[in-house]
Amino acid sequence: MEFYTLNRFLYLKYYVMVLYYQLMEYPLLARIAAIMITLCVLFILILIVRNVIVTQMANYRQRKINRARARYYEPMKAIALNPEMLDTADIVQQLDLPVRHNALAAMSQYMVPVFLELYREIGESPNMTNWRRLQQAFKMPDYFDRQIRSRTMRDRIMAFKNIADINADLKEAVASRYLYAKDAKLKMNARFHVGRFGTTYPFKVLEEDTNLVFTEEMMVKYHNLLVYRSKNNLPMPNFVQWCNRSPVNEDLREFAVNEIRLFRQREDCADLLNMLKSTHDERFACALIRALGALEYYVAEDEFRRRFPAASLRERNVICEALGTMHSGLPEVVPFLENAYLLVTDVVSGMTILRVLYNYGPEGREAFNRLKQRSTQDYLFLFKHIESPLIKSERYA
Amino acid sequence: MPEWLINTFDGFVLLYSAMLIASYIWMVLAAAGRHHHRKTYHDEDYTIDEMRKSPYTPFVSIVAPAYNEEKTIITNVESLLSLDYPDYEVIIVNDGSKDSTLQLLMERFQLVKVPYAYVEKIKTKPFRGVYKTTSDNPVYQRLTVVDKVNGGTKADASNAGINVVSSKYFVCTDVDCILDKYALYRVVWGTMCSGRRVIAVSATMRMSNGCEVKNGQMVQVNPPHSPIPLFQELEYTRSFLVGKTAFSSINALQNVSGGFGLFDTEVAIKAGGYDGDSFAEDMDIICRMVRYMCDSGEDYQIVQIPETCCWTEGPSSVKVLMRQRIRWARGLLQIFTVHRDMLWNRNYRQFGGFTMPYVFIFEFLAPIIEATGYLVLLSLFFRGEVNVVTMLVVFFAIYSFAQLLTMCIISMDIYIGSGFKRKLDYIWFAIASMLEPIFYHPILVFAAIRGYIKQIFGAQMVWGNMVRKGVNQQDAKKKGGKHA
Repeated sequence: MEFYTLNRFLYLKYYVMVLYYQLMEYPLLARIAAIMITLCVLFILILIVRNVIVTQMANYRQRKINRARARYYEPMKAIALNPEMLDTADIVQQLDLPVRHNALAAMSQYMVPVFLELYREIGESPNMTNWRRLQQAFKMPDYFDRQIRSRTMRDRIMAFKNIADINADLKEAVASRYLYAKDAKLKMNARFHVGRFGTTYPFKVLEEDTNLVFTEEMMVKYHNLLVYRSKNNLPMPNFVQWCNRSPVNEDLREFAVNEIRLFRQREDCADLLNMLKSTHDERFACALIRALGALEYYVAEDEFRRRFPAASLRERNVICEALGTMHSGLPEVVPFLENAYLLVTDVVSGMTILRVLYNYGPEGREAFNRLKQRSTQDYLFLFKHIESPLIKSERYA
Repeated sequence: MPEWLINTFDGFVLLYSAMLIASYIWMVLAAAGRHHHRKTYHDEDYTIDEMRKSPYTPFVSIVAPAYNEEKTIITNVESLLSLDYPDYEVIIVNDGSKDSTLQLLMERFQLVKVPYAYVEKIKTKPFRGVYKTTSDNPVYQRLTVVDKVNGGTKADASNAGINVVSSKYFVCTDVDCILDKYALYRVVWGTMCSGRRVIAVSATMRMSNGCEVKNGQMVQVNPPHSPIPLFQELEYTRSFLVGKTAFSSINALQNVSGGFGLFDTEVAIKAGGYDGDSFAEDMDIICRMVRYMCDSGEDYQIVQIPETCCWTEGPSSVKVLMRQRIRWARGLLQIFTVHRDMLWNRNYRQFGGFTMPYVFIFEFLAPIIEATGYLVLLSLFFRGEVNVVTMLVVFFAIYSFAQLLTMCIISMDIYIGSGFKRKLDYIWFAIASMLEPIFYHPILVFAAIRGYIKQIFGAQMVWGNMVRKGVNQQDAKKKGGKHA
């Protein structure tokens, strides 16, 4: 008789064999069920072990972060808000940081949440030189550089986000390897990084990705990075080029027009008006009208009025709102709006026009009252709604 | 009973079970992939920071119907007004409350009736007036109260709220639901990440039974410590983290919960809003929104987000649970009657070709097949034709698969990080999972069968009050009723 010493794999084999011989006489269904039980128990055990490990690791990490926060948060805040410029060496000394490079490098990962929390608390008020040197003292640029080169996609993505979040001092070159990455999200994050901090060729998204789906998420991020550039006196692009050059990408084109409006690039108004004259796309036309209205480009009023009769309901509402925003005071506007009200067929448009008239100075208010007097009892509720100071204007029509 | 019939039934049940297990395995894998993708690319703090600063973040309306909620209305409305989001309004619909709900709101928030141009885009019971604050407090100015004649259903009240919505998206919730402070960011972000038109966003809901709430804000998430809510917590988590997430991964989400969901205002209105006659109004509105989008040839997406955004108090007695599940079962049958043309209809894309058949086979038919199985098993048992060992082995196989599924859910919840803070609390989940097939599941099967019978024989539905025990409020004790 042969004897075997069971090791880890043979235990499993032994169990499977026992199971097999035990169930040999039973129907196929019972044998399948037994295998299923074995597999389920095995996976349950694996998941229990995994959950315990994940939880313990998370707890360990949280303890480290709490310790780092307790030790460095207040001194870091004092340094960041100190108007006096401090050297990195001074900061290292003040914070009593470990001298060994490895110890500092290990600490960096736990310092990210501390930096994030601190930056959120002090906002844009820190002494930027001290803030950058503080990051250097903790070797944060090296840490982010390592993370960006990490093999894990999450590490790379999070590194780009954290750099933006804490306004880290990291050159655009670190992102260069991912500017043409296969992973679309990674590529976008790298391009946003270059867009935020870059100086050589920062607007790759708008320049090259003319066929991508330009989601609202990207609009949010891109606008915020443009605000960052604007606040830090970095060169800003002229958005009108993307209005002209990307006729296939409606989202990008609309975004460019919106950015002209938000950054008040009034020098582009003439181009916007020319585009408005030639476009038949309702969505693009609405964006152009809104921009021209917000930028108070009075010359466009004639074009607004010319388009009005043939425009869609949505575009008509936008034209009326733009005339109200523009508030040119030209004598043609109030009669035009008054006439437009008499021709409307739906309540939403009627309310939009009445609201514009009501807020359009004394002549607008006079026209509003005239219309109110002429109105039938059925429509008086619209006037009362507009007149009520407690009801805010509609945001969405 | 003829042997051939029993053999055929055996084969059918075997095939059905295999398909069900296969579908669960697919759902777990699809959901795990989805969660991993979100964890890789999404960072909530970063997203909130970006949205907070951006002019592209849309204005949102919250619609919350209230019926006889005088005991909790002030705390609940204050909670809704204290959410973190740059620009939103709260529309409370007083659905003809017989108590002092409206008076309390008027006093607390200094409300007066305003001449609001109420346009009935969706038909509702008569509207009585709109109330706005006279206070200079900008937080109170977010509040609009719509007063209307009681319509008997939450759907009718929600429709009245939708009629005064002035935003591109609205969130529909119950006034006594506790929303996470960042819930609006999460659901709105869901609409912003897609290249397609997002017509609805569903978010994870959990039970508030057992949780600690202060000033209308969730301070400590605990598992319910009474059996019925605990079973429901497990059921909800399984549904949201696995089922809905998997369906959402192929754009085939079947419904957005009535407790918390975001909708595209224009599409919801064009689809006719909620159906006041439906017992499953949350699935019905999705059916009609999908129908509208497909009929008009537009591309759409319905998104499920895994983070917990809302806590609701679940029924804590078997009686109330039965009533709720009977209504759901009737609603399901109603859906397959009203929207039967969508079933197996590829014109309605994934919804017609996959979601509706799946729900029909594995949700609608499941209680019938299960109940038939119990009867057949009993009959065979008494005739001595059951191989007990085989039966037990098969039972334990299914049972262990159910436990594995629960373990997957626990792992996902830990991975997402929006569940219980104390990980040992998941032991409650494991206990509930072990007891569920024996104590809880048969109640659901029974309720579903009763619901189908009632619906077939046209029994009148009574919208009873749901008795609420109230979550662990430090500042207010909740009791009262609502649309059950």
